[in-house]
Amino acid sequence: MPGKTPNGKEPVENGIRNNQDVDMTDEKSSLKGKGKKGVKEGEDMTVVVPPSKTTKQSSAPPPADTDGDVDMDDSDKVEDVEVKVDPVTQAISDVKSNFALLDRAVALFDARFSLRALRSISSLRKRLTPDILSQAIAESYPATTSSANVARHLLAAIGREDVTLGQQSSAEMEVDSEPKVPAKNGNKKEKEVKEIIPEIDIFLGILIQVHLFDSKQYQKGANFSKYLSDRIHALNRRTLDPLSAKVYFYYSLFCEQLAPLPPSPQSPIVAIRPTLLAALRTAVLRKDIDTQASVIVLLLRSYLLTSHISQADLLVSHTQFPENAANNQVARFLYYLGRIRAIQLRYTEAHEHLTAATRKAPASSCALGFAQTATKVLLVVELLMGDIPERATFRAATMEQALHPYFLLVQAVRVGNLEDFETTLAEHVDTFKRDGTYTLILRLRQNVIKTGIRMMSLSYSRISLRDICIRLHLGSEESAEYIVAKAIRDGVIEATLDREKGFMKSKEVGDVYATREPGEAFHDRIRACLALHDESVKVCDSTFMPGFFDCITNLSFPQAMRFPMNQHRLELKNAQEAREREREMAKEIQEGDLDDDDLGGDFEGM
Amino acid sequence: MAAERTLQQIVSQLKSNPSIPYAEASSLLSKAKIALLQLNALTPTPNTPSHILAVARDIHEYGALSSIRARNPDAFTRYVSQLQPFYELPSSSLQPNLESRNKVTGLYLLLLLTQGRYAEFHSELEALSTAEGGNSEGIEGDRYLGYPIKLERWLMEGSYDRVWKAMKKGEVPSEEYGVFSEILTSQIRSEIASSSERAYPSLPLSSTKSLLFLDSEGAVIDFARQRGWAIRDSNIYFPQAEAEDAEQKDISQMVIENTLGYARELETIV
Repeated sequence: MPGKTPNGKEPVENGIRNNQDVDMTDEKSSLKGKGKKGVKEGEDMTVVVPPSKTTKQSSAPPPADTDGDVDMDDSDKVEDVEVKVDPVTQAISDVKSNFALLDRAVALFDARFSLRALRSISSLRKRLTPDILSQAIAESYPATTSSANVARHLLAAIGREDVTLGQQSSAEMEVDSEPKVPAKNGNKKEKEVKEIIPEIDIFLGILIQVHLFDSKQYQKGANFSKYLSDRIHALNRRTLDPLSAKVYFYYSLFCEQLAPLPPSPQSPIVAIRPTLLAALRTAVLRKDIDTQASVIVLLLRSYLLTSHISQADLLVSHTQFPENAANNQVARFLYYLGRIRAIQLRYTEAHEHLTAATRKAPASSCALGFAQTATKVLLVVELLMGDIPERATFRAATMEQALHPYFLLVQAVRVGNLEDFETTLAEHVDTFKRDGTYTLILRLRQNVIKTGIRMMSLSYSRISLRDICIRLHLGSEESAEYIVAKAIRDGVIEATLDREKGFMKSKEVGDVYATREPGEAFHDRIRACLALHDESVKVCDSTFMPGFFDCITNLSFPQAMRFPMNQHRLELKNAQEAREREREMAKEIQEGDLDDDDLGGDFEGM
Repeated sequence: MAAERTLQQIVSQLKSNPSIPYAEASSLLSKAKIALLQLNALTPTPNTPSHILAVARDIHEYGALSSIRARNPDAFTRYVSQLQPFYELPSSSLQPNLESRNKVTGLYLLLLLTQGRYAEFHSELEALSTAEGGNSEGIEGDRYLGYPIKLERWLMEGSYDRVWKAMKKGEVPSEEYGVFSEILTSQIRSEIASSSERAYPSLPLSSTKSLLFLDSEGAVIDFARQRGWAIRDSNIYFPQAEAEDAEQKDISQMVIENTLGYARELETIV
């Protein structure tokens, strides 16, 4: 995966790509129980449903069969099949195994199955070749029905027009694998002759997109994506939603790679905006959350790449980002929103969005690029707000190298050394420009000056304007006077100016505890704790973890308030049976709602 | 074809006589715009011939500059928005005229700055630096574009004397930029006044004059009256912040409010 190298060639893109890679592997784990991740991933690998089994499933779809037990009985069979078949056959059967999932998604009208199919892309991705794809298509599509036309389009995209459709299972498969597999496969053919659902077309289309992207055939990919998105637009099927989100994602990604590259207003990403906007409109009307979220994110990305900030701002103000969109889309949306707000000097909002974005970024190392990029912007915004970022941010092993220029920057701002600031800026100008933070950093100059003045006012009880002017490398004493006066007005320093004698006299630092400052700081903290508590309670409501609730209640109160709380807890402990009952109830609900839990994992395949 | 001829005629008329009054110029411009509409070239389309595009752009630019001279910011903003698609055309279909483009864009930046629309100012700036391929030295080095950028930086820093100097004759990149000087002057003057109120206990009239860039002590007295400053013995005394008392009250009120809030929250938790 390209994103694993920190600080890749184009960070923003890097972040996105990484993010997307991550989604494919551990979308389930990102919402809940990080500890389960290993298990889930393992499961993803073994969800290689062999065709034999799924045929039965799809021919007679069980009404209320939870996918959990399907996996269970498959897993052992998978083992022995896997040992014998060769990689190509395996890949083909893996591709085709997803068709069954899609079939079921349509039959049961349940998006979860489509999501599972999409999730398998990450494991398929590295194995895809035109041959595998063409064979999969040839085996699945009969030559006679109307869908043959679609199949020919798909084949043309991977340069395999000459492949004949409706082949029976390939010869090698019959030779290599156990006799029972091809037999069942043939069986499947007969079933599928009746109809090839559009979901399968689109799924194959996505696989082709992925393949073309990985093999860097961008122009071809863009053309094919156009065909695909037109087709999606023509079809009105709710079961297509998660798939179409993906199609648009790759469409936009292809266009980004085509010359002239993004900052140019002639870039193809400008040309596909109307398509995306139309898709957004349709998605909103159809309440298609997946497409809606991903298209909004794509549009924002496209606007920011060409620096159409006001357009991006308008888009944000005229659309509503779906509330229950996939976590990763939310993270991206917040990141872009943060960047827009930072450019518009709305730092408080920017800070809020970017903090949320970094927190929502998947914790695994695959999405490192996104986390780094978001952190970079966040750091600059913090500096612009006059805060000094925590030192620990720069110590994290995964961040240290990428954030080094920013570390130097923070140091310069912290001590108010204009000279250091200028040299850091000059030295790392390319990095900053690449990160898209350069214009923001330029605005920091005034903060450096302010800090410098502050330092001086703290160190000297009286200092001449000339000295200030020399220390801070300001143009003239006059400038220094105006700047200091402004600093006093803005509340940066407590001092007075003497115009006749030309000096700045610092006021005695009063007793901080006599001001409202401690009260405000205390209030802020309490508010944060309360907000944390509220949010955690919400989480408790949805996950039913009674023990967890106790934890937060204890945690979310500062030392000063803990004593009465603890006493209260003691009382509760006496009422043990009440808790016991609570726990039992929670357990019941948990068991009953296992399916719901799975759904909560949500589609994050984008 | 007739429309094209009218267009050429108007353009030559406008170019040959740069100092025609605004009313006359604007009537000519509206005629030109009608002609452009007939040629379907008021906004660029992929099949508009490039010489028409150039004429259309020139007309919009002329309109922008003349509306600035007539101090009509709304009309100016309209022209600028109409120019935007022309500036985004590739150089293959329309050879860019960098000087006038930068002039108009610089003026637009200055307008945003004087109207206090900083968010838009910075959005525009961001777009410019991307368009230049991240070559911001090029932008700052430009006579027209660098001017508002520098002004913004100085205003933010508080180097008002530099802003003042930049507005003097000879420093301003072109006469249209001078239009904003008046607004800028009053803007920085009120900035200085509000910081002086906090920074100095008192100021002698004579030095206030230079501090506020005023011409005479009489003007200083007028200004002081406007802001409600007391003048005694040719010294200006600033009204001390009488907010202390109110603030004190605020604190106790705030504490009570907060505590009540905590109590409420505690109740919901317990």
